[in-house]
Amino acid sequence: MEIVFEYVMRGVMEVFFTADGAFDWLPLAMVFGGLMTGIAIGATPGLNGPFAMALSLPILIWVFGVNDEALLPILGFLIGIMKGATVGGAVPAVLFNTPGTPDAYLTTLDGHPMTKNGQGPKALKVAHFSSVCGDTVSDMVLFVAAPVLAVLIESILDLPEKGALIILSLSFMAAVAGSSPMKGFIVGVLGMLLALVGSTLSGNGPRMTFGIVELGNGLPLTAAILGVLIIGEVFIGLEEEVRKKVRKFRSAVATPLGDNTFAWPERRKLLPRIGVSALIGTAIGALPGIGTTLAATLGYDVARRFSKTPEKFGTGIPEGVAATEAANSAVSGANLIPVMSLGIPGNFAAVFIILAVESVGEFTLGPHVFRFTEIKVIEDYGTIINNDLVIAFAMFTLMMLANIMNWTIGGAFLRSLGILVKVPKSLMLPVVLLITLTAVYAQDGGFIGVWVLLIFGLIGYVLKRLDISILPFVIGFLLSPRLEEYIRGGYSASGGDGLFLLKSPLAVVFIAASILILVLANRRRKIPEEA
Amino acid sequence: MRLGGKERREALNPWDIGFGAALLVFALWALFFWFPADIPTGFFFINSVGREEPGDAFFPIILASLLVGLSVIQMILSWRNRRSNADVDQTGSITLSNVKFLAIFLTVVGVGLGLMYWLGPVTVAVLNAAGFLDGTYRNFSDTAPYKYLGYVAGGAVMTLALIIWAEGRVRPVAVMTVVAVLVVAILLFDVALRNVLLPPNADF
Repeated sequence: MEIVFEYVMRGVMEVFFTADGAFDWLPLAMVFGGLMTGIAIGATPGLNGPFAMALSLPILIWVFGVNDEALLPILGFLIGIMKGATVGGAVPAVLFNTPGTPDAYLTTLDGHPMTKNGQGPKALKVAHFSSVCGDTVSDMVLFVAAPVLAVLIESILDLPEKGALIILSLSFMAAVAGSSPMKGFIVGVLGMLLALVGSTLSGNGPRMTFGIVELGNGLPLTAAILGVLIIGEVFIGLEEEVRKKVRKFRSAVATPLGDNTFAWPERRKLLPRIGVSALIGTAIGALPGIGTTLAATLGYDVARRFSKTPEKFGTGIPEGVAATEAANSAVSGANLIPVMSLGIPGNFAAVFIILAVESVGEFTLGPHVFRFTEIKVIEDYGTIINNDLVIAFAMFTLMMLANIMNWTIGGAFLRSLGILVKVPKSLMLPVVLLITLTAVYAQDGGFIGVWVLLIFGLIGYVLKRLDISILPFVIGFLLSPRLEEYIRGGYSASGGDGLFLLKSPLAVVFIAASILILVLANRRRKIPEEA
Repeated sequence: MRLGGKERREALNPWDIGFGAALLVFALWALFFWFPADIPTGFFFINSVGREEPGDAFFPIILASLLVGLSVIQMILSWRNRRSNADVDQTGSITLSNVKFLAIFLTVVGVGLGLMYWLGPVTVAVLNAAGFLDGTYRNFSDTAPYKYLGYVAGGAVMTLALIIWAEGRVRPVAVMTVVAVLVVAILLFDVALRNVLLPPNADF
């Protein structure tokens, strides 16, 4: 226990003090900046947290560089965005009945009627309080579950099992994240294949580049991910705007009437409801790929079922807003459990945390992080310590800092953002396109990044139109180099045994589970259609 | 188009089976044409100590082979599910109207990027020919106003055209927004960050 405490303390100190012992205000400032940016972005229809994280990452890398010292300020900003955007999403849902994301639709059910009843400010206070409660509960679970899971995994998994685990994660994400599990898995494999362009493990020259010299170092990672996630959305959003040709903009917010205070007795009354929703969101968030919509739906449904007055749900009651917001916000912290313990991202925000970690410094995420190596100071040599573990606890500290800032000043900032909701998508999306093009060009130092961005944007558009989830594609693209390392390493270590994956009972279980998940998910999809 | 009665039961979803077929063709092309021509080391190679190791084609071939198998399964599933998923609307599709949108969208973006790439160099070449400047665009790619010409013109044309297309009218607020975004981008990427270049200057 003593060694755990020692690592936790070193992690906390890493955030607040520089190497020479001086107080370091930068990580705090970055968390604050990220949180405010995230709340503003979340409150703007058409924008979301992963978008802001995607655009911020290249800018942060230019400003801070890619050395070890840059990692915490960069992660601080990204974590701030991730948390802020989760809270900010309630603003358009509550004030204007315009959910920016599918899960925010549930917030409109009671949030907007409250606004129409003149209780808009109170609805935002309830949304903020529940959201931050849910997020904090979820973070607590992350801090305990990620190390325990990682230690367990590191002690039992070797190369074949780790490879099989990636395949299992991909099939799970394909099964839960889209309407067609088989197509989701196929695009996951396609993403893996495309990620192999350029880079090689052997160092024997580039591969699969069609002779394009600029692809020698591989497809620009950020451009490819931004293309699928952001530009694909810009294509879709702009097409919808062109069809609608919206000329009228939204009406003004109903004037607040009567008592809009949200006092502690009322907050305490909501706490059981918030607690249940937070646990639902945390449990769902810990599974990769499921996302916030199911959490919000379940949170709302459970609250209504167990309410003494279920008929009041949907008429504008704080319980409805609290149940939804606590559940969808609790997803974000727990979503980092697979990232921290396995190095496998479960959602888009986690993708950008991984991108930042892989681009900056020498820290890598995965089960190896949580090795509690004994700390030894050796004279004339230095300290033997698992620095990755210190950084992991520093990350947890940043998350707690973001929560504290969110508790104290996030609410007031949130309530001042109603104006952002009025920015129409028709204006926002072309601007997003221009900013993304510019950022990608500047990061990759040439038009190659722009072409990759547009081509992957087109892939994102086609997948969306064909109703295929893009999450397996992105995860496959991101994890492919690591899977290749495991597969090639496992093959070599087995002495050239072509069936090396099947020689490990655990790997066989993972592979069998992958197949079973896909088969069951496919059958489940068929049944309602045939009924 | 929705089908009814017996017709509906017999119908096959072209997008479901087409997806599998397209991926199958891609995977076969990759296995038999792309990889052999574009991966220097093969499925295996002999390392410096004479031991056989997986080559750089090892993992791509495994993935492409998996893709072949999965595409065939997808096509079989589409065939078996033809009774249940006959209605194209249920699974998503790409319509002619989507293709038209993409064509116009990509044309606008293409024109914008073309302006971004060529306006600066062409302006410098013209001024050069007229005797006002001496040197190629490379010599002026870090000199105002030449370094901003392509970015401002291309960015403004692309963004404004898309906004006007989406809104069906020209609004002063749109023009002001685009100007403000361009100014902020220049201040951030050119003035504040000294080690990065705006488009198209890194290409010259």
